[in-house]
Amino acid sequence: MKKIDFTLNGKQTILDVEDNETLLHALREKLDIKSVKEGCSIGECGACTVLIDNEPHYSCLTLASKVSGHDVKTVEFLGDENLLHPLQEAFITYGAVQCGYCTPGMLLAAYSLLLKNEHPTDTDIKEAISGNLCRCTGYIQIVEAIRNAAGLCKCNS
Amino acid sequence: MLPDFASVIPESKEDALAYLSSLKSAKIFAGGTDLLVKMRRGESYSHIVDITGIHDLKVISDHDEMINIGALSTHYEISVNQIISEKALSLAQACGWVGSPAIRNMGTIGGNLVNASPAADSLAPLLIHDADVVLESKDGTRRMRLEDFILAPYKTDIQPHEILTFITIKGLPGYREGYKRVTKRAAWAISRLSIAWAIQEKGGFYKDVKLAIGSCTPMPFRPRKVEDSLKDRAKDEKTIQVAVGEIIDEIIKVSGMRPSFVYKIPVVKALLEDILKG
Ligand code: FES
Ligand code: FES
Repeated sequence: MKKIDFTLNGKQTILDVEDNETLLHALREKLDIKSVKEGCSIGECGACTVLIDNEPHYSCLTLASKVSGHDVKTVEFLGDENLLHPLQEAFITYGAVQCGYCTPGMLLAAYSLLLKNEHPTDTDIKEAISGNLCRCTGYIQIVEAIRNAAGLCKCNS
Repeated sequence: MLPDFASVIPESKEDALAYLSSLKSAKIFAGGTDLLVKMRRGESYSHIVDITGIHDLKVISDHDEMINIGALSTHYEISVNQIISEKALSLAQACGWVGSPAIRNMGTIGGNLVNASPAADSLAPLLIHDADVVLESKDGTRRMRLEDFILAPYKTDIQPHEILTFITIKGLPGYREGYKRVTKRAAWAISRLSIAWAIQEKGGFYKDVKLAIGSCTPMPFRPRKVEDSLKDRAKDEKTIQVAVGEIIDEIIKVSGMRPSFVYKIPVVKALLEDILKG
């Protein structure tokens, strides 16, 4: 058992976690953040993507004990049903959400990209979401959504 | 769920080495991208020594022509590091190609070497930079050439109580350098075939040529005879053709003729010609 102290979506969070507990498990089962999905569990699908210090990480391959002292963001950080983030708006507008399983991870990967690069090319976008699989959309709508959101949001302000 | 284990999270190298020497069947945990996958497939360890909190092992520094890379540097950190980009560009490029962004943020170069996957992108660039690995245990430090450290695919000379702490490479500022690989899919693919090169030329002559070819053979290798023979040679069509022919012969000699060579060899040949022409 380890006590971890970290920032989750802007809030200081203290939590007891098992030594062998993944961040995915801690977020879903202990903190009830169900937007973080479990797909493959072996670092191939990206459904479990979270941002640690604003960089995408697979929470299925991250030990919860490792995030102590770090900043963790899930899609809840971006917005909620009352006030969606421009990226979320764009995903709806461009039809980039079908079943939605990949969407939280996609949004976080996209958000991390826009933090570093306000005007990404399509190649930059494809590279940024290359670790996130989508079985529904065929990606074109996702790339379009991110490209169009890029102009609209000042992610790093 | 992962198999049961207890973990310790030392903050200094000394503490980590002390834990390793006192714990039985302890496994070092770095990025987790390989180890946790193996655990999901049933490998289990009673103790994990999570070394990711050891700051000293994340530093990349240079001293004269030598570059010291902390083993916990992630692929992402190496790919954007200024020293590496200036003096070992092929390594920065190769690390920028590893896996996906998340894997690059998580996976470390040390972990990658200890796993010794023959398809690891970093191997070929490290070989042209004459990489050494530094292995530390409570009883002392040893340093060995990367080529000697990796014994076979997925097998290295690391001993149970050792940590791979640093990788040292020779910087090659002013060389024309790069890394190319051929894969089925551009992003998120495990390297199938790769070439790292660093070439110094002057006035139409080759001064120094370093090449490493990966994944064609069980281990990436340096065609050293060809490298030597190119020294002070005029850079012309004939020299290039002869050199490329010799390298291909060496690949076949090192690895034996393989069915996949039917398509691999022509690809390597064209790549090598481009690289030598520059
Ligand atoms: S569930 Fe983590 S990458 Fe698939
Ligand atoms: S919308 Fe279904 S997996 Fe992407």
